[in-house]
Amino acid sequence: MAVQQTTRSTGALPESRRRSPGRWVGTALLTVLAAAIGVAFLLPAVWMLLGSLRPGSEVIGSVSPLSWRTLVPDTWTLDNYVALFADLGFGRSLVNSLLVALVSVLLGLALSVPAAYALTVLRFPGREGVFALLVVGFMVPFEAIAIPMAQLFTQWQLDNTYLGLILPGIGNGLAIFNLRQFFRGVPASLREAAIVDGAGDFRIMTRIYVPLSVTALINSALLIFLGQWSAYLWPLLLVSDQEKQVAAIAIARTFSDTEFNFGQMFGGALLISVVPAILLLLLQRHFATSVASSGEKG
Amino acid sequence: MSAAAHDRSQRTALRGRPSAPPQPAAPPQPAAPSALPRRRPGRGRDLRTAVLFLGPALAAIVLLRLIPFAGAAYSTLFERVGVGLLAEQRFAWFANYERLLSDPLFLGTLWRTIAFNLVINPVQIALAMAVSVLLVQHLPGRGLWRVFVFVPCTVPLVGSSVAWGVALRQDGPVNGVLAALGLAPQPFFTSPQQALFSIAVVASWIGIGYWMLFLIGGLNEVSQELYEAASLDGAGRWRSFWSVTVPMMKRPLLFVLVADTVANFVLFVPMQLLTNGGPNESTTMLMFDAYRRTYTYSQPNLGATAILILTLIMLAIVAVQFRLLKEED
Amino acid sequence: MSARTVRAVGALAVGALLLSGCGGSGQDGAAQGSTGDDWTIPSSDPEASITVVGHLDPVEEQLNDVVAAFEAEHPSIDVTYQQVPFDDLNSVLDSRITAKTGDPDVFWVDQPRVSALATRGYLENLTSQFGDLTDGLQASTVENSSYDGELWSLPIADSTQILYYNKTLLAQAGLTPPSTDPDQRITWQQLKEDAAAAKAAGATYGLLLGQPDRYYQLEPLPVSAGGGVGAEGEDNLTPAVDDEGWVEAMTYYGSLYADGVSPRGITSEQTDATFLQGGTAYMVQGNWLVPQLADSDVDWGAALNPVWEGGEPATPNGSWSVGMNPFSKNKEAAAVFMKWLAIDGESGYATNRSFSELPANTAGLQSYLTSEAFTSSEAGQQAADVVEYESTNTGVGRVATVGYVEFEDIMGRAFSDIANGSDPAESLESAQSQLETAWQQYR
Repeated sequence: MAVQQTTRSTGALPESRRRSPGRWVGTALLTVLAAAIGVAFLLPAVWMLLGSLRPGSEVIGSVSPLSWRTLVPDTWTLDNYVALFADLGFGRSLVNSLLVALVSVLLGLALSVPAAYALTVLRFPGREGVFALLVVGFMVPFEAIAIPMAQLFTQWQLDNTYLGLILPGIGNGLAIFNLRQFFRGVPASLREAAIVDGAGDFRIMTRIYVPLSVTALINSALLIFLGQWSAYLWPLLLVSDQEKQVAAIAIARTFSDTEFNFGQMFGGALLISVVPAILLLLLQRHFATSVASSGEKG
Repeated sequence: MSAAAHDRSQRTALRGRPSAPPQPAAPPQPAAPSALPRRRPGRGRDLRTAVLFLGPALAAIVLLRLIPFAGAAYSTLFERVGVGLLAEQRFAWFANYERLLSDPLFLGTLWRTIAFNLVINPVQIALAMAVSVLLVQHLPGRGLWRVFVFVPCTVPLVGSSVAWGVALRQDGPVNGVLAALGLAPQPFFTSPQQALFSIAVVASWIGIGYWMLFLIGGLNEVSQELYEAASLDGAGRWRSFWSVTVPMMKRPLLFVLVADTVANFVLFVPMQLLTNGGPNESTTMLMFDAYRRTYTYSQPNLGATAILILTLIMLAIVAVQFRLLKEED
Repeated sequence: MSARTVRAVGALAVGALLLSGCGGSGQDGAAQGSTGDDWTIPSSDPEASITVVGHLDPVEEQLNDVVAAFEAEHPSIDVTYQQVPFDDLNSVLDSRITAKTGDPDVFWVDQPRVSALATRGYLENLTSQFGDLTDGLQASTVENSSYDGELWSLPIADSTQILYYNKTLLAQAGLTPPSTDPDQRITWQQLKEDAAAAKAAGATYGLLLGQPDRYYQLEPLPVSAGGGVGAEGEDNLTPAVDDEGWVEAMTYYGSLYADGVSPRGITSEQTDATFLQGGTAYMVQGNWLVPQLADSDVDWGAALNPVWEGGEPATPNGSWSVGMNPFSKNKEAAAVFMKWLAIDGESGYATNRSFSELPANTAGLQSYLTSEAFTSSEAGQQAADVVEYESTNTGVGRVATVGYVEFEDIMGRAFSDIANGSDPAESLESAQSQLETAWQQYR
């Protein structure tokens, strides 16, 4: 039976072929479940969103007793966002965060992809030892080394610079580890064939491995991005100039030692979260297609 | 073995070339690079390429993580005599270790950290796996649900901690819902029995969306044919999950397990913001203790000692994980 | 040697060079730091640039205005103010001061930490330059800014606490409001009863403490009950938190929560907003709540702080000072700035921040008490009376010990545990032994 099939995989479980009414009910139930789970995860963020749209002092007052008022504001206002952008320079700090994160992703991937390739595909003495070093590298909590490194960077005149913010983020052992795991699943025969055709490793990496690993690349990119986007201790120690400060620190300004503006803080937190969320929304349609398209090619 | 290779061999078989007739796939084996008819030339070439490819990344990691860490590790052999800038560093062998390991509070923190992590890691991965399996089905709006589940890990930890701190207040919304359902209000962060669990809930809320991405990526790599072959063999959905999905997911699972282990071991911000290590030290984990020693008490040598102990424990656990999820190579 | 080994050795060599470079400059830096006798406050302004680090927001808390006003009066000195979030001030200062580069020149100092910072060498000794100039400052703030008989920082602010109450809720329960008359000060015990009655009559919460688990807020309880500030002996390095006064005070404190008079789980960041929402009968909070109350809908009143039955009145005090980096390369200019900030006139700091904080400067204090928030209502006037009386008469400084940071942290956790239901005597004993361990390094 020469049935032409696509190799696009689906739900990690065998797919029933017959379109029975039972199947529609099953899909409907699962959809409800998926939606419920999605909403459950989102609910606290929704509460924060609504909290940011009400006057800062009302957020806490409305918590108890539980009622509609807890979620839905009595008074709707954009004052918090106005304050964030006008007084707290949040727009500027978001741009700083974005710049640092995006450049870190570009540089980080440029470093990680060849490294993962080398660790998976190439044979050389000490390969597993190098990999072990990498693993230890991402286990080191940054807090252990932050102060001496900050002092070192200051000595090198890298304080208050974008470069200083970017550098610690580009050597991301986890990103390399992720890509390495994926590359291990690419059959070596592809490379063999390419070598026979006379291709060098750089070619093989960019023409064969990279196109196959869109999902893994996106995930590693997100790893690096989120690592830099949410970094707090490093920018705190390295940057003292308000103009260069990043968003994660900027929202700390909404809380002083005696006044605590929850509305502003939530607003800032959500603005910070919107960027990676949108990135994922745009990128995640590339997830399923990678394998399907690779399967189609003979 | 990825779908690509499997696909090619299947199609070869299906097009009726003079080869073996199509058979149900044997338990999948990853493609073995060493199963080649002749020795490959170019070991030397491999080395040169490796230096070029690995060099920059390795340099970044060695210079910006490993060497500073070696410095911190070295500092654990020194005791500080005096305080602050007027202190001297005196070589003291393992005095710092002795001091920490003879402190009953520290030992309590140590066991608590290990026990916590042994429980929370598998639970989080299992939950993430369940969510991933659900959101990889062809359901309407699944892209949107995925983003919803992912949003928590994009919110700054400060914001999440504050929001959850309010949500789990004695008179907060969660207790309000429980009361509406007729259940007794729970003390959450104010109880030594529930505080750690509450923190685990917050950490899971944040982490599951993150790991879900990697697991979905892995699930998408598992070829449909394998499921068909399994169901031809008579396996039901649950059985296929265990005999097909999980073995095929070893690679991404190893990544997620190791990364989650590290993430949970170095977690301390929620404890700092929500419970400050209490009540009754029930949420004082090793990283929080180390952070407090270094940054609050300004005792960097002892803090570095605690971190080194933490890293050694992590290494041991991760080594076991590598063992368990080893692929036949 | 294998390639990997070569790589490793090369990396280590580079790293070693880098680290040695780091150590080298440290030595140079040490030569710069002086003991405080080499300079004086100049009679004419030097030309210099100084950096100042504080936790106040430059825009919202008007530090930009302060800096502009200073630069207008002292054009040859250029000031760069940098804000660091309050919770991170210590780690940032740790990192920057120990780099010994002299940056920042001036920084905000939390008064109770003066002893700890001075002993660690983070502060320049100011006694010879400023010792005679502190007459215009509140005596308690000068004491809080000193250690071991020497002046280590200049106070710019002070604080005190007020017993606020919600008139509507009190009337609803038929309660007599507490008084601003020093002879009729309400007792803690009576306050608890009244708060319980208010709650029974319909208030959501009976009594709120502004910072429910902090030593700053709770110190008056054991002090008033006769238990002392928490440490004694030479250099205040012998912990003393398990004596009778402390146990009694903490039993009372725990009972507030156990008996439902105070709510568990409302953190320091949330208490103001809770009281301002209107459902709370009583709150003991700092003077900074007054402007917020003036803007709110709450029908409020102010009274003197409660006293322990049979004990002496005690109130919290202390706030921020400014200190000088001992490695600063611009000490004269820094001194001019600090003097302008704290001492000149009504304090440049308070004047240019619209007197939004209780100044340490006694002339500034009067302007503070006549500001809008205090004069716009009868309650505001009551609050002004309370502030003036308490800050001059009943303030008790936080324990001045080298081990203050550990003390505050350990006691904070003990208070939190007690509020959440732990046995007070046990928690205090545990805190006592933790303090013994933590303070060993200082003895």
